[in-house]
Amino acid sequence: MLRRLMLCAALVVFVAVMALVCLPTAAFTQPAAPKAQAPVLVTSCGQSPGPLKVTVFLKRLGIEYDYKADATDKDIASRKYKTVIIVTGASLKGMGAAGVAMKDELARTAGVIDAARKLGVLVAGAHIEGMARRSQGAEAGDNSDEQSIDAVCPKSQLLIVRKDGDEDGRFTTIAKKQNIPMVAFEKNLDLEGVLKTLFGK
Amino acid sequence: MTTTVRLRKIGFGALALAFLAVAGSSFYHQRYLPEAVVLGEGVTAVTRLSEYGESLRGTANDIHLYVLEGKAPGGTILVFGGTHAEEPAGRLAAWMLVEHATIERGRLIVALSANRSASTVTRPGAAYPPEFTIPTAWGGQRFRMGDRWTNPLDQWPDPEVYIHYPSGQYLAYVDIRNLNRAFPGRPDGTLTERTTYAFMELIRREHVDVAIDLHEAELQYPVISTIVTHQRGQDMATMVSMTLTDLEGFKIGTEFSPRNLHGLSHREIGDHSQAVSLLFEAPEPFLDATRGRTNADVLLTGKDEFVVQAGKRGLLFETIDEHGWPIAKRVGRHTSSVAQTMETWTEDHPDRGIVARGIPRYKDLVRNGVGFYLRDPAVAPAGRVVYE
Repeated sequence: MLRRLMLCAALVVFVAVMALVCLPTAAFTQPAAPKAQAPVLVTSCGQSPGPLKVTVFLKRLGIEYDYKADATDKDIASRKYKTVIIVTGASLKGMGAAGVAMKDELARTAGVIDAARKLGVLVAGAHIEGMARRSQGAEAGDNSDEQSIDAVCPKSQLLIVRKDGDEDGRFTTIAKKQNIPMVAFEKNLDLEGVLKTLFGK
Repeated sequence: MTTTVRLRKIGFGALALAFLAVAGSSFYHQRYLPEAVVLGEGVTAVTRLSEYGESLRGTANDIHLYVLEGKAPGGTILVFGGTHAEEPAGRLAAWMLVEHATIERGRLIVALSANRSASTVTRPGAAYPPEFTIPTAWGGQRFRMGDRWTNPLDQWPDPEVYIHYPSGQYLAYVDIRNLNRAFPGRPDGTLTERTTYAFMELIRREHVDVAIDLHEAELQYPVISTIVTHQRGQDMATMVSMTLTDLEGFKIGTEFSPRNLHGLSHREIGDHSQAVSLLFEAPEPFLDATRGRTNADVLLTGKDEFVVQAGKRGLLFETIDEHGWPIAKRVGRHTSSVAQTMETWTEDHPDRGIVARGIPRYKDLVRNGVGFYLRDPAVAPAGRVVYE
């Protein structure tokens, strides 16, 4: 009898554990992407050339924006912007040219995100350069791409991701865990359509 | 002196003269190997760089400039290959433009051998082949295999330190003969500086809107498979890179020209003229320090097992496998990038558009090979062949 009871208890514990493990995944539904509004502040976390891939389309769509490679919380405090897009992935060359290190970029970006969240500015984290900005081709020991992603994406209210950069599910996992809407696109040129929809153009 | 010693001296002397004759003949033939250019239907004029820098007249760098002018007015684009003559994809891509492009609107100016002097010498001690042949249906066309630097026969000696003009920046001594460290040049400087000065005058006087410098790079160099752009060309380069990556089947990135590194075309042309300056880099395993045999086969196939091994050890900034980086792919990257630049420029500047047709693009070159697009000078119309 005792043995049966123990077996039943073990079964109940197993089912409960499995339910706890599986439930969040099973229950996860993609939240709707928020509407983004202009004016937009575009910056990077890591001084990559990625922000230009956003700004060329913003320009073509006629969406008001400023690109500031060194944007800070003061830019947000100016209350000029309604959306901030932070492009993740780092460029050692870009940081070298700007005379900054990864720790500076992480601190600067944290300030931008905190200020934006306080003032109700929509924070969109973007990763739009594929695996080239996922440490592929980086120098040995350089994990600045991943630091950049960790600093921005979990704190964002929207993720914009080129699919090939998510081939290991990195951004899908962040989106599910933090319940952040994620918009994924296939080709570079598809980004124009993504921005068009987000900004209701 | 004994008879034996005398005979020995004569023997060694004769041997030295024989080596001298063989080597001298090889150097002579390489320096004077004529390279035929069949002018395509689109070429409306051929002029010389000395038109823009009188002091170049009669020198190795008084190069041909090929002008392709459309019937409709528009913008002007300058494309130059051969800045570094050991990067043949740049020269061959320029050849494709001269032999095949037709301009409907605007104007295209092409230089095949921006530093012609550098194409008349190979790298001492590096075992570079003196020439290479591109196979064609009509037998094959020979090209000089050059070096990165102006021939010391044309510019010598080098200083202890090269002080770049006008920035005053200190650069490696040998780069005083590097065309891509000598922009914007000066009219009374070295041959290399006078050459870049003439290019700058050409760009200013002909109101060039976009200047493109075609290069190749070793796979161990971080700036590879990319468009290096002056800050005024960042939007265009980004759009060109995205479009090529999406539509043409090869990946190409963008890099920004460092503001504090002087002498390079992408920095100085943009700073000292109205033109937007871009530099395209294609992968050339032949240039990698870890390569094995250094011969024309490696140059053209881009296959090298040692460079592949370097890739497996994570030492490269571009992928490579046993298929290598054949010359057709490298030339095709450049021709497609030039064509796409014209298209993007025209979209953004409809009042100064440049519209071309007939340029063989990446897929064409990969499918048919470079030789397919080289024209046979033997059957060219009279007066339509120029020798580089």
